[in-house]
Amino acid sequence: MSRVPEGIAKLRVLELSMGWAGPLVGELLGEMGMQVVKVEDTRNFDWWRGSAAMGLPEMRPIERAPTFNSVNRGKLGVTLDLSRPRGVEILRRLAALSDVLIENFSPGVMERLGIDWPQLGALNPRLVMVSMPAFGAEGPDAGSRGYGMSIEAMAGVTGQMAYHDGGPPYMMSNALGDPTSGLHGALAALAALRERARTGRGQHVEVAEVETVVPFMAGALLDYQFTGEVPRAIGNRSSDAVPHGIFRCAGEHAFVALGAHTEEHWQGLLRALGLERLGRDPRFAGAAHRKANEDALDAELGAALGALGVDEAVERLLAAGVPAGQVSPAPAVLADRQLVAREFFVPIQRAVVGTCLYPGAPVRMSATPLDASRPSPLLGEHNEAVLRELLGMSTEEIAQLERDGLIGSLPRA
Amino acid sequence: MVYRALSDVRVIDLTHYIAGPYATRLLAQFGADVIKVEPPCGEGGRRLGPHRAASAGDRLAERGGLFAFLNADKTGVALNLKDARGRELLMRLVADADLLYENFAPGTLTRLGLGPDDLIARFPRLSIVSISNYGQDGPDRDAPVNDIVLAGRGGWTFAVGEPKREPLSPPGSLPQYVGAVYAALGGIQALFARDLGLGRGQRVDVSLLETTVATMIYDTVAFQYTGMLRVRRGKQYATGPFLIATLRCRDGYAGLHCVSDRQFRALFEMMGRPELVHDERFASAPARMANNAALVELVEAFFAGHDAAWLYREGQRRGIPLVPIPTVAQVLEWEQLTARRYFETIDDPALGPIRIPGAPLRLGSHRAAPSRPAPRLGEHNRAVLGGRLGLSEGELRRLREDGVLGGML
Repeated sequence: MSRVPEGIAKLRVLELSMGWAGPLVGELLGEMGMQVVKVEDTRNFDWWRGSAAMGLPEMRPIERAPTFNSVNRGKLGVTLDLSRPRGVEILRRLAALSDVLIENFSPGVMERLGIDWPQLGALNPRLVMVSMPAFGAEGPDAGSRGYGMSIEAMAGVTGQMAYHDGGPPYMMSNALGDPTSGLHGALAALAALRERARTGRGQHVEVAEVETVVPFMAGALLDYQFTGEVPRAIGNRSSDAVPHGIFRCAGEHAFVALGAHTEEHWQGLLRALGLERLGRDPRFAGAAHRKANEDALDAELGAALGALGVDEAVERLLAAGVPAGQVSPAPAVLADRQLVAREFFVPIQRAVVGTCLYPGAPVRMSATPLDASRPSPLLGEHNEAVLRELLGMSTEEIAQLERDGLIGSLPRA
Repeated sequence: MVYRALSDVRVIDLTHYIAGPYATRLLAQFGADVIKVEPPCGEGGRRLGPHRAASAGDRLAERGGLFAFLNADKTGVALNLKDARGRELLMRLVADADLLYENFAPGTLTRLGLGPDDLIARFPRLSIVSISNYGQDGPDRDAPVNDIVLAGRGGWTFAVGEPKREPLSPPGSLPQYVGAVYAALGGIQALFARDLGLGRGQRVDVSLLETTVATMIYDTVAFQYTGMLRVRRGKQYATGPFLIATLRCRDGYAGLHCVSDRQFRALFEMMGRPELVHDERFASAPARMANNAALVELVEAFFAGHDAAWLYREGQRRGIPLVPIPTVAQVLEWEQLTARRYFETIDDPALGPIRIPGAPLRLGSHRAAPSRPAPRLGEHNRAVLGGRLGLSEGELRRLREDGVLGGML
């Protein structure tokens, strides 16, 4: 059944990270078939589980977080109290057995715990350690904290994200800095493992999260260098295509995105919407005139599209060869015919929350498919399995750790 | 900047525009040997902006700024794959390659007689990474698409913007860059599979729609858990027991990310309102969720009276993830990136000196080498086809005259 190559199944990942970016690294490596051990603490558990105060204890609120449950699939969940030396010592034993360690603590925490790279690299010279500071471990802003939206802001994305007619900047809806740096963390781990295969040595890789997103803004960064002016935010419009935008359709939450990049697109658009008369209107004769009269053109399109359901609008536009699609709210994404046909979403049964669909792995490998179909761990779910099988601890030792509060499976205040 | 971690990896790159070229750019930065194969007229991405003002003459026409960035550190040949001799030369290049990247419209490779399964049958160590808008199959495989459609259909756009206005699409071509990173990862994952047990290459199908949806990782899941639709909340990321927002300050905007009890305590202290910690409206996560509007109002009024730089310094001093919202000009001059020597200046043969983003990660094992400019069209025809494949000068000239080779010779 399993098609994980044996050499990949032998690789062990130790994950000391919270939120999205760091855990995504473990998720991606785990989907390949590596064994991922995620370490949390019963007091200081992954903050993406949410707050234990968000519901009655018997409702187990921290096991109901869509965030945590989406990005920690297939991991072995263990808890360790790292504020005590005994907890750190067990962690070091796990690190000694690991091929990859992922951490996204605030700067200085690893050193304070005695598990920074000089110490872990000496303990396990084959270890690849991936650190993911927001802005880098050195430099005047090294100590600053940033999450996904802070990263995307400091990379220049937010400053370019406003409606074409002015107004404030807006954030991405997917905290772009988080998934982007998570993906790069996985690249970092794999690149370093490949180097290790040649040199025999592990290494410390730093993924400064903001530096993974800045390249996405290369166009605007170069534009500024060429013109000396900060490019103006143009919202849903385009520097060349016209019309280009998002329009309301009939019904609630119904919007269509479209763009006419060529004369063929323009002609197709007019046909699709029964607006052939605009093709004879001198205000819209040629792309330059359309650009100059874009507000008027958008108003015409808005009136025509507002009378159509979004499915019909998309159908007509695609049939006429115009790039178009629904601006999909979550349920429409789940029902998207292309995603459904390709079985992109995978059902997973997870304790406490039951069976739901989760996004699958978007890298489709023909011979060794990635596996995104396993549930995320409950807090401390695999304490016993990991401590027994990896560290050879006895039942009594493990029970003692639990009595001492070093491990556990329920959140503590 | 270029590392050597993948120095034993050979990549043949048939891609164009953004998603494919950025995927192979990443591999080149990690040390892979990337041969970019373009059609004799050059790939379409050469025409992408931004452009320098045309004052410096014709040589600028060869490329825009984005091409110069996306294709740095690659070796460039120009081959006509519609000609059998062009395809045969490609086969000779592919013979010792580990990865082939392509982002033609699905089905194009097969039409050229280069079907992925046939190629892998002939070269069992080769993996082929195909990047496309909607994937290699499915009802919308061939549907026309652009960036605003990808972001919208992929779920990024709906919840952004003012509640009463149309949703706001992200700037530039962000979905393509995200897809590129997945595609770079996919190629390396195929190498891991090959070298750690499978023993052979495979096909890798990367759909930009799916990579877009994948980075919304929990939104579709949250809807199933709660039945609640996330909608546009203006300056706020979403409604919750947190405050994640872009807020106006005295001299611009700042971004606040405040989630935990500890962060809210620090925020209230920074505002000079430590008593708010005990205010029953804000004392716990559920209370902050119930009184979100009042919370926003208080914090916004405070921000309006201070500069972004002050808010950044004072917020961070207290452990609050609070940042200014810089322009791209400010990003280029940000002292943090300067101190880290992040931006790299390359002397582009057509555009002159340009500052481009450096490597997106830092390996500790060795120092990175400077990047090379993107190739001129056919710049390495002679080095690759003559040097590596051993074609004679006469053969090269003949191929150039027949239009099988394009660009420089």
